[in-house]
Amino acid sequence: MSSDLAALPLEELLEQIQDNLYGGNVEPVVAGVHELLRRGLTPYDALTQGLIAGMDVVGEDFRTGKLFVPQVLMAAKAMKGGMEVLRPLLAETGAPRIGTLVIGTVKGDIHDIGKNLVGMMMEGAGFQVVNLGINTDVEKFLHAVREHAADILGMSALLTTTMPYMRVVIQALKESGLREKLIVLVGGAPLNADFAKSIGADAYCRDAAKAVETAKRLMAEKNGTPRA
Amino acid sequence: MIRTPAAFLTDGEVRRVHEASLEILEQVGLLVRNARAREIFARHGGQVEAGGENVRLPRAVVERYRAGIPPKFTFRARDPELDRTVPDDAPVVISGSSAPDMVDPATGIARRALAADIARIARLVDQLPNYDIFSVSTLADDAPPAFFSVTRLYAALKYCRKPVRISGPPEELDSILKLAHIIAGGERAYMERPFITHHYCPCVSPLTMDYDSTATLIYYAERGLPGHPTLVPNAGLTSPLTLAGTLVQGNAEFLAAVVLEQMVRPGKATIYSSLPTVADMRTGAYAPGAIETGMLFMGVAQMARFYGVPCGGYIGLSNAKVNDAQSGFETGMSGVAALLSGNHLFNMAGLLDALMSFDFAKAVIDDEIVAMLRRLQRGLELSEESFALDVIREVGPGGMFADHLHTLERMRTTGFLPEIADRDPRQGWIEKGGLDAQGRAMLRVRDILTRDAPSLFSPDVDARLRREFTGMVAAEFAPPEGWSRPPDEALSDRAERRRRRLAQQAEA
Repeated sequence: MSSDLAALPLEELLEQIQDNLYGGNVEPVVAGVHELLRRGLTPYDALTQGLIAGMDVVGEDFRTGKLFVPQVLMAAKAMKGGMEVLRPLLAETGAPRIGTLVIGTVKGDIHDIGKNLVGMMMEGAGFQVVNLGINTDVEKFLHAVREHAADILGMSALLTTTMPYMRVVIQALKESGLREKLIVLVGGAPLNADFAKSIGADAYCRDAAKAVETAKRLMAEKNGTPRA
Repeated sequence: MIRTPAAFLTDGEVRRVHEASLEILEQVGLLVRNARAREIFARHGGQVEAGGENVRLPRAVVERYRAGIPPKFTFRARDPELDRTVPDDAPVVISGSSAPDMVDPATGIARRALAADIARIARLVDQLPNYDIFSVSTLADDAPPAFFSVTRLYAALKYCRKPVRISGPPEELDSILKLAHIIAGGERAYMERPFITHHYCPCVSPLTMDYDSTATLIYYAERGLPGHPTLVPNAGLTSPLTLAGTLVQGNAEFLAAVVLEQMVRPGKATIYSSLPTVADMRTGAYAPGAIETGMLFMGVAQMARFYGVPCGGYIGLSNAKVNDAQSGFETGMSGVAALLSGNHLFNMAGLLDALMSFDFAKAVIDDEIVAMLRRLQRGLELSEESFALDVIREVGPGGMFADHLHTLERMRTTGFLPEIADRDPRQGWIEKGGLDAQGRAMLRVRDILTRDAPSLFSPDVDARLRREFTGMVAAEFAPPEGWSRPPDEALSDRAERRRRRLAQQAEA
């Protein structure tokens, strides 16, 4: 296999990686990324020209209804495989950070399907995702934000009785001096933009695709490199 | 009546679904987050993973406890006349519940629902003839967290005489009971006639029992108060993307929840209440208005019959945002499927946008859809007398039935006479304003909400409630802002005709 890859012109190799991302084939994507690196591409170029370019097509086809949710999740898994190869190298070479997301369902709530979808799609966009699971209290959120030097905190709630807890977490972030550098995104069926604003979150994301889009936008602003 | 319920499954297949559910409970088990529930399962034969949260239920345990479920469930009101029992009074219709938003009746725009909205909805449900039970339709964004459910219940019980159903968080369970005791005139009086039915969703699919709703189940079961769970598997996301797999997993979750109820209180009545859905895998959208929900209800009804437990659930929801064709056909199609297959409890009415918002006009339209379902339930009413052979003989070929006494006697009862559906000739329809169903429903809403709504609390009870729950929002009924009794004569004529017709029906 690797010998076949080695024979491919770069353009075709990139295309093949992107096709494999689109098809959700983890191993071929990982092999392709290794091949890009073997040829001397910087980890950042491998990321942007190989993986991100491929996932942009996936995102576009999801938005227009060509791809269904399971296909996007398969592609995200392939993306995650490629990212695992690149992430340590990206850090070493000082490439611009894609970002780390800490995400969890808030205390008292165990509904996590939507939150997990967001986590997987964020991985699909290249983010490092630390999924704290369900019933997450303030201490656990704060600890994870510190430990992973998170860029983004995502909180989810399905119950109207648990969504006020998001305010408690944001208050604690402020008191610990963590809020300012952090992007806080919230989501869940009973929430809306007004609620997000009232508790001091940066944005309400109505679905996983919106979460990815918002995270990318706010991350670019944070990095001072607005995307076109 | 419907003699043979519509069914997809053979008896053998029903048994296989049951067997498969037992297999899941015995071999896969459930994640039980609530520690007390784990203890209860363990004490009664469940196998709790050492140091973990997984609970497996051996088939003998499930079979023993599910066999103890009684065949009937009664929703009680303060007035026994308004009590409703499933399956005897089926279809029993309960308003849709707990939407965070409200389509503002004045602006038509969705916004957060408030306590004052609940007072209006309570009055509407009280007045609409086809609703049996008021499940508090919205949340109240202005309610303080400590009195969230109390605020909602206050408004509901103040303006609706029908049985009330609500769910509440564990922190408020004691307050809810205290409110009930004050209204009933003491704990003993309340226990004799518990007019609040409690509702919980202890199972979060797949195969997980949560902390809070499970605590609620245990709390009410321990006290012998009426309550029932609803199971909500969502195929493609929280259950397998096959209708059969979703039926089986949802059935296993139902068994787990009701077995826990029986372990806490043997002989406790319950309902096989459900909201099975198939996710729209193009986007992951929640789609309770899909035809598959109606189909799954047909399967659920068969399983409930096998267990001898009354059944139903959130039937007739819609994803539509306005009262358009979609909102009608989604509610109607699932409603018909559920009725013909023998469901008893129809938790429908008033909700748009997949449980997200309550809409007054939708509630009125659904009241009429329910009336049609009730007509469907009556069936062809076949008898020697109803063949009317004498009348056919008498009128004879080429004759006229319209002026016959036989017709006169049945002109109000044989065909359901709709208030919302329009049957005018086009020109007549134009002359009456050319309104669509939404427009006609809003006239009815206006008619109900601009009349006085008396408080059902005595001044003494009201004062005690306000003292006990200082800080709750004590909503008073008032017409929506800017609404008063319209001077429009056509409307008052129409309302007056309706009032007289209802009075006539009551006499007959």
